[in-house]
Amino acid sequence: MLETMSKNLVELVRRHHTLDAPSALDVLKEAVELRGEITDADRREAAQRSGLPEAAVYGVSTFYDDLLQPRGERHVRVCTGTACFAATGDAHVDALREAFGLGLGERAADGSVSLAETVCLGFCHSSPAVRDGDTIDAGEDVVARVLSGSARPAAEPAWVSLLDEPVLTRPPDWSGLRRVLNERIAPEALLEEVKAADVRGRGGAGFPAGTKWQFARAAGGDGVQKFIVANGDEGDPGSYIDKYLMERSPELLIEGLALAGYAVGAAHGFVLCRSEYPRSKPALEAAAERAQADGLLGDDVLGSGFAFDVTIVEGAGSYVVGEETALLACLEGLRGTVSARPPFPAQEGLYGRPTVVNNVETLCNIPFVAARGAAAYHALSPASDTAGSKLVCFNERFARPGVYEVPFGVSMRWLCDEVADGLRDGRAIKAVQIGGPLGGILPASLLDTPFDFDALAAEGCMLGHGGIVAFDDATSMRDVARHLLRFGAHESCGKCFPCRIGLRRAHALFAADAPVDRGRLEALLETLELGSLCAHGGGMPAPIRSLLKHFPDELGLA
Amino acid sequence: MPAVTVDGVAVEVAASATLLEAARAAGRWVPTLCFDARQAPFGACRACLVGVEGSAAPLPACTTPCRDGMVLDTEDPAGRRVAHAVVELVLSELPQAPAPHTELAQVAQRLGVEEPRWPGETHAPQPADTRHPYLAFQHELCISCGRCVRACDELQGTFALTATGRGFEANVAAGLDEGFRASACVACGACADTCPTDAITEVSLLP
Repeated sequence: MLETMSKNLVELVRRHHTLDAPSALDVLKEAVELRGEITDADRREAAQRSGLPEAAVYGVSTFYDDLLQPRGERHVRVCTGTACFAATGDAHVDALREAFGLGLGERAADGSVSLAETVCLGFCHSSPAVRDGDTIDAGEDVVARVLSGSARPAAEPAWVSLLDEPVLTRPPDWSGLRRVLNERIAPEALLEEVKAADVRGRGGAGFPAGTKWQFARAAGGDGVQKFIVANGDEGDPGSYIDKYLMERSPELLIEGLALAGYAVGAAHGFVLCRSEYPRSKPALEAAAERAQADGLLGDDVLGSGFAFDVTIVEGAGSYVVGEETALLACLEGLRGTVSARPPFPAQEGLYGRPTVVNNVETLCNIPFVAARGAAAYHALSPASDTAGSKLVCFNERFARPGVYEVPFGVSMRWLCDEVADGLRDGRAIKAVQIGGPLGGILPASLLDTPFDFDALAAEGCMLGHGGIVAFDDATSMRDVARHLLRFGAHESCGKCFPCRIGLRRAHALFAADAPVDRGRLEALLETLELGSLCAHGGGMPAPIRSLLKHFPDELGLA
Repeated sequence: MPAVTVDGVAVEVAASATLLEAARAAGRWVPTLCFDARQAPFGACRACLVGVEGSAAPLPACTTPCRDGMVLDTEDPAGRRVAHAVVELVLSELPQAPAPHTELAQVAQRLGVEEPRWPGETHAPQPADTRHPYLAFQHELCISCGRCVRACDELQGTFALTATGRGFEANVAAGLDEGFRASACVACGACADTCPTDAITEVSLLP
């Protein structure tokens, strides 16, 4: 029998969870908020309150960025995401380091101030971004404001729909859940409608949501507890789409969770949101409270007899926790490392129970399908075989950065030149990275490529999460490779050997002031692609392959 | 019972069997570092990739279930290239070569691995942790295969060990990293027994 995650620890966590014990991660997060660092006394307390063995708690306390970087009275977190890199080449990081006299992850000897790295704050429209205490500031002069103690909350541009009938950017009205429950549409019928709508996962892999739901619905025997989990911790640097959804339209996500629960036979949903987005959890909790008060969540939703509740959990700083098995480990308060599949979460997920893990945007598509049906959903993107619409977002290099709802099948050039109005300050696009750090890089010469799953894959790219990060003509592509591989190595969960060691070595190849041996690099990329346990190590070579193909002369190859 | 073919040899395996179990049933060697037959498969080292007819890429043998009619190639060239590279990478993170009797050294020798192609930073050498009378840590030899942690969890049920850190800094610790003695360790020795690198060893009391 395949059991790749500690069944014992997971069962231990499940039993304590049913007793309302906090997770070890929750207790450790409280400690670091309170005292700025974690002591052994905190770890012992976390073990006692969560029921986790002391050693396991120690393992958790050494995994997450938020627990590892000590905090002074004033805690300054500088964004090292790809959009911020594209804006300044990391000059904002260097400036803060020099001014504070601190390295990243260091605290002043007198405890007055600490400097930490964070990837990414989701203010990619206004890079660079810095979080000073609870204030996230962003923009050209952010370093000066932070250093003079006058950081102010950065504004976020409104989102814009280019569809006649917005799906994701319309004001939520619960019409999908109301229709399904008021018209007594059977769970099986809703599942069939979602399958007919061909809702593909918006988190990267593009897996059909209906198929995932069906696996979970069929898993286990009668009466087996099941869960729906919204993956709100897909922290692709350069993407702030889920942030907008969770903070501007939290009801839509909760409605999607409830509909998934209804179709699958789950009475409880979870959202794991990112700690880098401090406003997400409060927004979701407030929306859940309102829904409860309005009879849209609870023991008897809209008087239908259907019971559904949601719990909002915040992560602690780990990119790989966006991978579904790592996400479930994080929800359980364990180390956010990846587990081999099978078993798939649909068979054995949260607390060992059948679980659907869907990306935030994926779930936000469901209310429209439930309210209007599969045919209306297919009609949203007339120029493409892909159903539905997609949110895209642009980085600060563009003249009109922000989140836009667009149909599939439009050209990348139209998105970049018309929707986002090209680059600002008369700059030219050198290349764009689409869909996060594991996505390929499209040179400006290929911008006529359609924005769609298959068309982008044919160019070694992926639609991924829909983040579009432009690098302008002043960007060194060797620096881009170094930036991406530094991120990759930093975020490796450390479980599989190719990623744990290979990304460190790949980064070293580009960080050294020496030519990169192409043969050795390619052998390393193959090892990562074929050998890695998850899409992190498996995907990090994609942008490097793009650079090798389109910008070989800039990489300093030998 | 699924019937599979391994390197031309037909074998019948249990319904729950993995590709690795099928290969071993056929008497074929597949390199592994994180695998211990007494423990649940872990899928971390990625040295065990084998070719499967119809699959574009080689698959990890220890975590892939057998299906009836599968045709395996334990010496798939791409799989072996990855195994070779993985062992090179692991050797490159150790500050010293593993002792010849260790499982890691033996796998490296059998695969013909010599100088790693990607030398670089190693785990920082540190004095052996000998605070416990029977068990010793040498953390810089740890390759994060997870076997000791799983032995303590699945075989002994003591949970005295944990994986620590993240990425290249990953390692292992007992209790709150205060050594075996201050932890819940009951000195059963299962961790030392399974360790493929001598990162955990039993202290010999006999001359």
